[in-house]
Amino acid sequence: MSDIEDAQQTVREAMARPGDWLTGKQRRAVWREVRASSSNELDQQRRQALSPNAVNGAHAATAELSASAMEVVHRTASDPGRLTRAWADEHISELGEETYTELVGVTAIVSVLDRFDRAMGRPEQPLPQPTAGEPARVRPDDVGDIGAWVSQTTGPTKANVSRTLSLVPVTNQPWRQLVDTHYSHGAEFMNLRWKFPLSRPQAELVATRSTALNECFY
Amino acid sequence: MSGEANGLTVDLKAAIERDHIGDVGVPAGAELLAFTNAVELDHDDIDATRTALADVIGRQATLEAAAIIAIFNGLVRVADGTGIQLDQGVFTASIEERDLLGINEFAGAANSTNVVAVNAQPMAVHDLFG
Repeated sequence: MSDIEDAQQTVREAMARPGDWLTGKQRRAVWREVRASSSNELDQQRRQALSPNAVNGAHAATAELSASAMEVVHRTASDPGRLTRAWADEHISELGEETYTELVGVTAIVSVLDRFDRAMGRPEQPLPQPTAGEPARVRPDDVGDIGAWVSQTTGPTKANVSRTLSLVPVTNQPWRQLVDTHYSHGAEFMNLRWKFPLSRPQAELVATRSTALNECFY
Repeated sequence: MSGEANGLTVDLKAAIERDHIGDVGVPAGAELLAFTNAVELDHDDIDATRTALADVIGRQATLEAAAIIAIFNGLVRVADGTGIQLDQGVFTASIEERDLLGINEFAGAANSTNVVAVNAQPMAVHDLFG
């Protein structure tokens, strides 16, 4: 098994454990809803509309996730390129910025795991069994307003993309593990002529096309 | 930038043009773009494009390509979902490129109309992950 697949196994298990502000059951439910979003009628109608706001409807609450949490998960999973600050502010007000950020983070992480399996022609893996226990509920001391929609670390780091989940450290740790094994390769990221089987220009070509197809400005 | 460092002339406009599947100046570029599009757009030729890519660059490099497609599905979601701004150094250094490539038309551009300088400023992609 490669480093990439080792990391995925570790992270997969972490997605069903208690997180920062969500329980293991809730994190698992996020994963379930991310999978459902690809065939969810409301999500698909919004995605195809000129503006997602032009489509009426709302996601109902489930046993694990409030209606607002469902909206955050489904929109982040299905149409991330058209999220707006007004939309985020509404849900941050409802959920709190820590829970909002964890919902975005778990959505992103499980999207990585499922997309990799699809790319490799592997069947969708069963959702892991949730682990009982309480979330950590710790807000880091070194976070503040740096111009994003949620508070992020004000400490030394090179780029805003490295700060995205810093408000939720339990979720940020597996996220950073995925980024490191799947793309940045630690200190090798500074080496534009790295010696991995996929050359750096090839890696950047794939990255460029992926972000363009997702219409990601950053 | 990585293209220049490796002695390549990369057609960046073709690289981000969603329907372009062909040579962009990177070895195996056409196969990489076909595979990326198939996975991102959920086409029914994922297996065929992956096999074609592996025939050219090998199994491990193909697995690494799949990993990059996958991680960028996460990166776009954390970036757009948390509303991060483009880093000031990149914002300033990429004005012409963003205009030329149509990137300013993306909805997320609204987050970066008034960028805030925080700590060390990355100037290029290889500065992004500290």
